[in-house]
Amino acid sequence: MQFIGAGSLGVAGGVLYGESVQKDVELLIPQVVPPEDYSPGVASWYNTVCNQCSAGCGISVRIREGKAKKIEGNPVHPVSQGRLCARGQAGLNVLYNPDRIRSPLQNATSRESGSFTEISWDEALTTIGSRIGRLRIEGNASRVRLLTGSTRGGLDELFAQFMSLLGSDHYQQYDFTDPGALRAANRIAFGMDQLPHYDIKHADYLLSFGADYLATWLSPVHYSLAYGHLRQGRDGQRGRTVQIEPRMSLSGAAADEWIAARPGTEGLLALGLAHELLRAGSYTGSDRDEWASALQPYSPAMVAAETDVSVDTIVRIAREFAESTASLAIAGGATAAGTNAVASVVAVNALNYLAGNLNQPGGIFFNPDPAFSAAAGSRQVGMQGMLDLAEAMEAGDVEVLIVHDSNPVHALPENVRFRQAMENVPLVVALSSFHDETTDMADLILPTNTYLESWGDDVPDPGVGFPVASISQPVVAPLYDTLPVGDIVLALARRIGGELPIRMPWGTMEEFIKARWRDEYDGRTAGLEGQDFDAFWQASLEAGVWGQPGIVAGDPSMPSSAAMIAALANPVSEFAGDESDYPFVLHPYLTATFLDGRGANLPWLQELPDPMTSVVYGSWAELNPATAEDLGIREGDVLEVETPAGSVSVPALIFPALRPGVVAMPIGQGHTAYGRYARNRGANPMDLVSMQIDDRSGDLAWAATRARVRNTGERLQIIKTDGVTRTLGRQILGPKNDHA
Amino acid sequence: MKWGNDLSTFVEKFRQYLKPGYYDEFDYHWTMTIDLDRCTGCEACVVACQAENNLPIVGEKRYAQNREIKWIRIERYWEGEYPDVKMGFIPMLCQHCDAAPCEIACPVFATYHNQDGLNTQIYNRCIGTRTCAVYCPYEVRYFNWFTYTWDEPLEQQLNPDVTVREKGVMEKCTFCIQRIRLAKDNAKDDDRRRVRDGEVVPACVQSCPTEAMAFGDSNDPEAKVSKMMKNPRGYTVLEELNTTPSIVYLKKAHAES
Repeated sequence: MQFIGAGSLGVAGGVLYGESVQKDVELLIPQVVPPEDYSPGVASWYNTVCNQCSAGCGISVRIREGKAKKIEGNPVHPVSQGRLCARGQAGLNVLYNPDRIRSPLQNATSRESGSFTEISWDEALTTIGSRIGRLRIEGNASRVRLLTGSTRGGLDELFAQFMSLLGSDHYQQYDFTDPGALRAANRIAFGMDQLPHYDIKHADYLLSFGADYLATWLSPVHYSLAYGHLRQGRDGQRGRTVQIEPRMSLSGAAADEWIAARPGTEGLLALGLAHELLRAGSYTGSDRDEWASALQPYSPAMVAAETDVSVDTIVRIAREFAESTASLAIAGGATAAGTNAVASVVAVNALNYLAGNLNQPGGIFFNPDPAFSAAAGSRQVGMQGMLDLAEAMEAGDVEVLIVHDSNPVHALPENVRFRQAMENVPLVVALSSFHDETTDMADLILPTNTYLESWGDDVPDPGVGFPVASISQPVVAPLYDTLPVGDIVLALARRIGGELPIRMPWGTMEEFIKARWRDEYDGRTAGLEGQDFDAFWQASLEAGVWGQPGIVAGDPSMPSSAAMIAALANPVSEFAGDESDYPFVLHPYLTATFLDGRGANLPWLQELPDPMTSVVYGSWAELNPATAEDLGIREGDVLEVETPAGSVSVPALIFPALRPGVVAMPIGQGHTAYGRYARNRGANPMDLVSMQIDDRSGDLAWAATRARVRNTGERLQIIKTDGVTRTLGRQILGPKNDHA
Repeated sequence: MKWGNDLSTFVEKFRQYLKPGYYDEFDYHWTMTIDLDRCTGCEACVVACQAENNLPIVGEKRYAQNREIKWIRIERYWEGEYPDVKMGFIPMLCQHCDAAPCEIACPVFATYHNQDGLNTQIYNRCIGTRTCAVYCPYEVRYFNWFTYTWDEPLEQQLNPDVTVREKGVMEKCTFCIQRIRLAKDNAKDDDRRRVRDGEVVPACVQSCPTEAMAFGDSNDPEAKVSKMMKNPRGYTVLEELNTTPSIVYLKKAHAES
C-alpha cells in the first residue's frame, strides 16, 4: 500500500511538473527580456486628470511594474495643488474594480432580465453603425439621442462634432451635481455662463448659504485648500465662516457659526441681510435707490419671523459682512434646490454686489475666456431637459439612445419614469465601465476604459482666475477588452460613413487630443515664444496641465442691477405636500463619500465612515434628538419615510445638529445594480422627491418635499465607528483653559 | 549610546528617551503636527492611508463587529445641544509615544522604539496576544482577526513597498516608514548626510486638502514641524498619561466676537 501510495504521488507530481514547466516557459521570458516601459522596483509617476467629480483636479498616479499603486494630487496643477479628497484617492477602486465590464455585451433576452452575452467589438459597432447610418440616410438623424454626465474638454467636443455631423441636435448632459441654479443666477446677475472664481482663500468673512464647499460644492479640494489658508494661512488674521443650512454639513461643522434657518427661506434671509446692509448705509452706488425700494419689504423683523433667525443675528451678520474687508457669500446645496432656487442665489449675488465683493481679493473673480473656447455647462439640460427626453422616448420619437457616464434611472426621481420610457427605445447603447441601473437597461453595452486608461483633456469649471487646461493620459495599459470612449465615437463615425469619417479623420482619441492642442497652440502666441509645438506638447503632457497665470479677465460686464432686482421676487420655496399631512421637511443631501451615488461601487468609499456620522455601508434618516424623543424613536428603529412621491424604509439616526421638523437623508445609496459593493444597500432618497421644477433654471427642486415618518417597530443595526461622541471632560480637542 | 543587556527596566529606557537631546545622537526624531483649525474632517487622509499601506477591505459584517482596520481615523465630538451645537474633529493615529505603553506590554518585543523615535511593529515577531492594543490609550492598534483577501483584481493596487499582513498580527500606523526609508536612501545616493525637510511626506499628510498636517524631523529647529510645535495652540492628547506623543495637535482657534 505504501508503495502504491508513493508511486501515485510520483505520477501526480510528474503531471504537475509537466504543467509547471509549460507555465514557467511562459513566465520566464518576461523575466529575461526586460520590459521597455519600466524598471522593476522603480516607481514612475504620470500626471492626468481626476474624474471622480466635475472639479477637474490634476492628479499624479504612481506606477510600479505597470500597475497603478497610488493617486496623489498633482503639485503643479492650480486646482488641486498636490492635494486630493477621499473620492479622488479611491480612483484606484474604479480602475481595479472587480465588477468592471470586460468585453462588449449584448442583452440576451429582455431588458428586465439583466442577462447579457458577450459579442465582438466588430459586431457591436457594426450593429450600431448600420442602424445610425440608416437613420442618417433617411434623414431621421434626430431620432438619435446622446446623453452624457458632465463631459468636458476634448471628449465633449468629439461628441458634439459627432452629433452635429450626424444631423442630430440632441446631445445633452445631465449631472445631478451640476449647479444649474447657480449658473442661471449668474447669467441673470453677471451675464456669465462660466462659473466665476470664488476667492475663498483671501476672504476674511465667508457666508455660505447651504454650499458645502468643503465636501461637495463645485471644487472641494480647491476650496479646502483655500479654507486652510483662510483660517491659518495669514499671520495674525483668521478668517471667519458662517454656514446657513438646516442640517450641519462638513462646512457647517467647520464654521464659526451654524444657523439653521427655516428650510426654503435662505434666499429671504439673504434679502434681509441686504436690506440691513443698505439701511446701515454702507452701499453708496448710483443705483442705491432702486435697491432700497426693491429691498424695502424685507425688514429684519419680517425676515426674522419668516426665517426663524433672530433680528439681532440678522443685524449682526449684516454688520459683520459689510464691515469685513474681504467678505464673500456663496450659495449651493438645499438653498439652490428649492422652487425658488434661482431667486435665492440671485439674492446671494445681490449681497455680494451690494457689499462690493466683485473683482475684489477674497470676493468673486470672473474667469477669462477659457482655453479651447470651452462652453462649460452649456449642455446641461437640468430636470426639464430630462423630462422632455423621457417624453420623447415615451412617444416613440427616439430610435437610438446612447448613454455615457450618466445614470438617470438611479439619479432621477421615480416619477420621471425614465426606466419605463427606455422600454420604448428600440436601441439603447450604454458606453460604460460598470453595470449601473441605466447600463443594465441597454441592448448593447460598449465597455469603456476608465479615466486612468484614457486620453482626454479638460478645462476646469470653475476655473482658477486664469486660463488653464489639463491633459489626461492613460497611466496603465487597458486591463480588459475595452476601448476609450473617444475611440468608440471615432470608430462609430467610420462605420456610419458619409461625411463623418472625412470630417473626423483621427484614428484615435490620442491623435484628436494632440490635434486639438496643436490648434490651441497655433491660436495662442502670448507666453509661448521660442517654444515649438513638440516642446509645448511634451511639457504640457509631463506637467499634466498648461496655464497662463498672467492672464486675467478683461473688464467684466457690469452686473445688471435691474435684472437682479427683477429676479428677486418669490424668495421662499414652496413645498410639495400639506404640512398637516406631512409635518417634516425632507432634506436630502450629497455626501462627501458617494456624491450623487457614483462612488457607491467603490469599496474604500463604502468602508469610509461618513464624515459627520461615522456610518458605513448603508443609509439612514436623521432626526433631531428632541424630535426623536417626542416620537419615541431610538437609533436603529426602522422608519418609514413617506412623501407625496413615495416611501422608503431606513433606520433612524439621531443627529444633534439638525433643525427640528426636518428629516435628513444622505443621497448615494439605494442602488439596485452597480456591482457587489453598491447593490441592495440602503435607500435612495430620490424615490421620495416630488417632481417640482424651478422654471428659471429648469432644475429639480430636490429640497422642496414634505415628509412624514412612522416607526415600523422593526430594528436594524446602523454600523458606525463612533462610540462615545462627547469628550466627557477629557480635553481631547485641546485644553479648555487658554484662549489662544 | 548603546543598548546592552545590562539595561534593567523599561522605566529606565523611557527615561533615556525623555532626556533632552536623546535623539540628537541619532539622525531624526520624526514628529507630526495637526492643526485642528484647518482640519475639516473630510477623511481624505483615511483613504490615502488605506491605499498606501495595503489596509484590508474588511466588509460589512466585520465592520459591524468593530473589526475595522484604519490606521488613521477621524474622531468626532459633539459639544452643546441644538441650536448651539458644535462638532469637533480630530484625526487619531498612532502617536508614536516616546514613553509608549504598548512597548512595555509586548511579551515578545514585537513592538519597539527605533532610533528615529518611531514606535514600530515587527509583524513576523508578533504572536497576537493583543496586549499592546489593551495598553494603548489612543486605541490606534488594530488586530487582524482574519487573513483578508482582495476581490480580484483589486490586489493589483497593493503597494509593493508594504507588507500585506495576515491573521493573528497586530498592526498600526508606521508614519509611512517605507517613505522614510526611500527618502533616506535617496539622501544617501545623493551623498547627503540628512534628509531634507519636506522630503518625507506620509500619505495622510500628502493628501490633506487643507494642509492641516505637517511632518518632519523635530531635531531640526528649522523644520516646519519644529516651528508648528511652538504654536501656543499646541497640545498633546491625553497629556496627563505622560506618554509623550510625537504628534502635536494645534487646537481649534475661536472667532473673536
